Amino acid sequence: MVEAQEHRHLVLIGNGMAGINTVEQILKLAPGAYRITVFGSEPYPNYNRIQLSYVLEKSKAVEDIILNDREWYLENGIELYTGTTVTHIDTEQKTVKADNGMEVPYDTLIIATGSNPFILPVPGADKEGIVGFRDIADCENMLRAADQYKKAAVIGGGLLGLEAAKGLLKLGMDVTVVHLFEEIMERQLDHTASLMLQAELESQGLKFATGKQTEEFLGDKRVSGIRFSDGTTLDAEFVVMAVGIRPNIALAKESGIAVNKGILVNDYMRTSVPDVYAVGECNEHRGITYGLVAPLFEQGAVLAKHLCGVDTKPYEGSVVSTQLKISGVDVFSAGEFMDAEGLSIVRMHDDWRRIYKKVLLRGGRIVGGVLIGDGKESSRLQQWIRTGTVMTEAIHDAIVGQASVETGNTAAELADEEIVCGCNGVTKKHIVDAINEKGLTTVEEIKVATSASRSCGGCRPVVEQILQYVLGDKYDSAAAKQEAICSCTTLSKDEVVTAIKEKGLITSKEVRYALEWDNPEGCSKCRPALNYYLGMIWPTEHVDEKDSRFVNERMHANIQKDGTFGVVPRMYGGVTTPEDLRLIADIAVKYNVKLVKVTGGQRLDLLGVKKEDLPKIWKDLGMPSGYAYAKALRTVKTCVGSQFCRFGTKDSMGMGILLEKKFERLDMPAKFKLAVNGCPRNCAESSTKDIGIVGNEGAWEIYVGGNGGIKARLAELLCKVRTDEELLEIVSAFMQYYRETGKYLERTSDWIERVGLESVTEAVVHDRDNRRALAERMEVALAQVKEPWSEILNNSNLRERMFDEITVSTNQD
Amino acid sequence: MEPILNSNEYTYYLVGHVDDFPERLGRVVRLGKEVIAVFKTTDGQIYALENKSPGPRGGTIAEGMISGEVLFDPICDWKISLTDGQVLDPDTGQVRAYPVQVLGNEVRIGLLTKEGGLFHE
Repeated sequence: MVEAQEHRHLVLIGNGMAGINTVEQILKLAPGAYRITVFGSEPYPNYNRIQLSYVLEKSKAVEDIILNDREWYLENGIELYTGTTVTHIDTEQKTVKADNGMEVPYDTLIIATGSNPFILPVPGADKEGIVGFRDIADCENMLRAADQYKKAAVIGGGLLGLEAAKGLLKLGMDVTVVHLFEEIMERQLDHTASLMLQAELESQGLKFATGKQTEEFLGDKRVSGIRFSDGTTLDAEFVVMAVGIRPNIALAKESGIAVNKGILVNDYMRTSVPDVYAVGECNEHRGITYGLVAPLFEQGAVLAKHLCGVDTKPYEGSVVSTQLKISGVDVFSAGEFMDAEGLSIVRMHDDWRRIYKKVLLRGGRIVGGVLIGDGKESSRLQQWIRTGTVMTEAIHDAIVGQASVETGNTAAELADEEIVCGCNGVTKKHIVDAINEKGLTTVEEIKVATSASRSCGGCRPVVEQILQYVLGDKYDSAAAKQEAICSCTTLSKDEVVTAIKEKGLITSKEVRYALEWDNPEGCSKCRPALNYYLGMIWPTEHVDEKDSRFVNERMHANIQKDGTFGVVPRMYGGVTTPEDLRLIADIAVKYNVKLVKVTGGQRLDLLGVKKEDLPKIWKDLGMPSGYAYAKALRTVKTCVGSQFCRFGTKDSMGMGILLEKKFERLDMPAKFKLAVNGCPRNCAESSTKDIGIVGNEGAWEIYVGGNGGIKARLAELLCKVRTDEELLEIVSAFMQYYRETGKYLERTSDWIERVGLESVTEAVVHDRDNRRALAERMEVALAQVKEPWSEILNNSNLRERMFDEITVSTNQD
Repeated sequence: MEPILNSNEYTYYLVGHVDDFPERLGRVVRLGKEVIAVFKTTDGQIYALENKSPGPRGGTIAEGMISGEVLFDPICDWKISLTDGQVLDPDTGQVRAYPVQVLGNEVRIGLLTKEGGLFHE
């Protein structure tokens, strides 16, 4: 009998976040208690639905948002049927039937069928080009539409609609948000907050049509526009419906389970039928249906305990909070948000900084709040709302007063089962246990171990407080933090790069805004660094910010101490022709340059050129820029090699020219030098280059991390390769790996010391898939580079404003 | 070019239009004998400073980076206030600032009348 108890069969209908989170908790509480079968209509394993907007913005791939891969199901002995929809529940016989003909008996059944986007029941709603925004397939639809069409309309100015609209805007579409009410997000924001949000989104390029009721979709087979009840119309080739969601109750209803708006459940998620439970968006608890993630996890926790026979408090509803996942906009709302009788309100409204903060109190306790433009206190505010904290001077100061007031550590007051990370359903207890059991000392480690703060990062301050609370005196805030990239922020390079990727930030203005820079326009340290990181992360999307470049990279010449410039044209591999030399000599005379210097990189520098003469010289030279001024590939130094040298075993000049032509112009964290030698005599000095290549009989040796500069360092052997193709791929992968992991201004010599040669070798030599992926990303980046001299010559406006002086005579003359 | 006499002290000269000056970048204006670096901030404010680095290594400042109303000297990376030319902490010094008038789209820079010579009809 005990045997049979241990193998009760749990069937889960719905392979989404609510259901799988419940299963995960069951596996933790009572491993082996159930044999588990999962049905999911979508063809994917469980993924993070709330991050679909990142997929839409292309800041994440579908694989990146998978929460449980197929391996996980296998390891836990779960039978998974994806792309399979359950069509009937026989509550008498206790079986479920699926659309593939399967019939499976259950002892316990969990329904977690989620919800469906609500499609407006108006004429034409079935036309092509009208979609919801709910799953990966919708996302793929939207990405395809952005390639083919220009004008999009998103119906619904709520959370989901705005995220969808911003995503489409980022994909280059012309997007109008249509909203039934006059104010967007009217269910989370008051009048002032709503207007501020709309203004901010308008400044980012979104259009709004508010107070518009959709009456009909126009067009033949495919939608071409929308007609509203006031008679006006809007052109639209693509429409996203985001007017709301409806609990997916069809299956339950058809199977005789009691439903209202959702599947009716009690405080332990039980439905009207024995042994059948419903969790997540599909259910209705005490008259409320939820559409956000945190309540699902709270419900799942109660249900899992209940099913495992662990004592649990009943589920009594959730305080929902909303945080908009749109880059460059801070919007937070939780609990009560509208002025009403019996509420005292603390309000701060600053139109100049575009900040609005409102905290609502009932009987002195915090019951709700709205934050626009400054979300720093959002996670703590949410904590105060949940716990009904009494307002104090310190809390008041922290929210509406000057920033960074110490309000004390409230981590102790959090209940163990309180969800700290709403995105990933991580409770305080999870975090405390992980810290104690694994001896964690930093937030980063907690993130890796528990996933807390992995997604949106909003709970990071709370996670940090918990860490501080658990470690007590052992907590070292300095050790927990990496070096900040500049004094405008406390964030390290890694944190900034991660946030850029996760939040889909494309411009440095967005970065400074979203990551709460102290200095809204940055400083001379972070400006060029952010411009580099953004270009590296978003090679095709980011537009180079010239005003954040150091003067040399902006003027594409080397400024000298007297304000004149040096001009260095390319001389690939240090090889030139008599014609080119004659041309350079003629131009040097024509422009009266002060000096001609043969540089250390095997080319010529024309020194003492006036700023306004730069474009003229470039035009006369007709040669590409040598990038002697840039954080990019400078030169590829070569020896004569097998073409002429008696000792040469390899064509070093040929390979050098090939490499220089392939990798020139690409932004790197710091300047980058190459050398190619035809034999081990090493006449082109490979050991002091970022990459030094040495030809041998039948092989190339690749040395990396050399530096002949301030801190000399000998290059170390990375690997030996036989073919030119392999050489090119490894050089490409090495350079890309350095671009992706190096800090701005960090030379390869320092970078290799920091990350270790072994990890570099693993990433670019041994791990072939990774090597190929790096080389592929390199190709994408290389496809974007442009020759800067001709670009400036072809843009008269830019040329004039950047290079021409204005001369005005006065009465002095 | 006809100067406009605005006060007893300064004579203002038309040096160009607002659009002639790129945002967050500097442009050199030679006004008589003065060499001036003119900067336009993100807010569209225009400032004029003498094009001379206050730092020990000399050089010009028109090529510096602009953040808000602060210029980062391209040679010594000192911070210079665009509004008055004052060098900001932790360094010290002063760059000469010229008054700027923007009327409509026209940008004028003022020189002390005694430096600009006499005003002739």
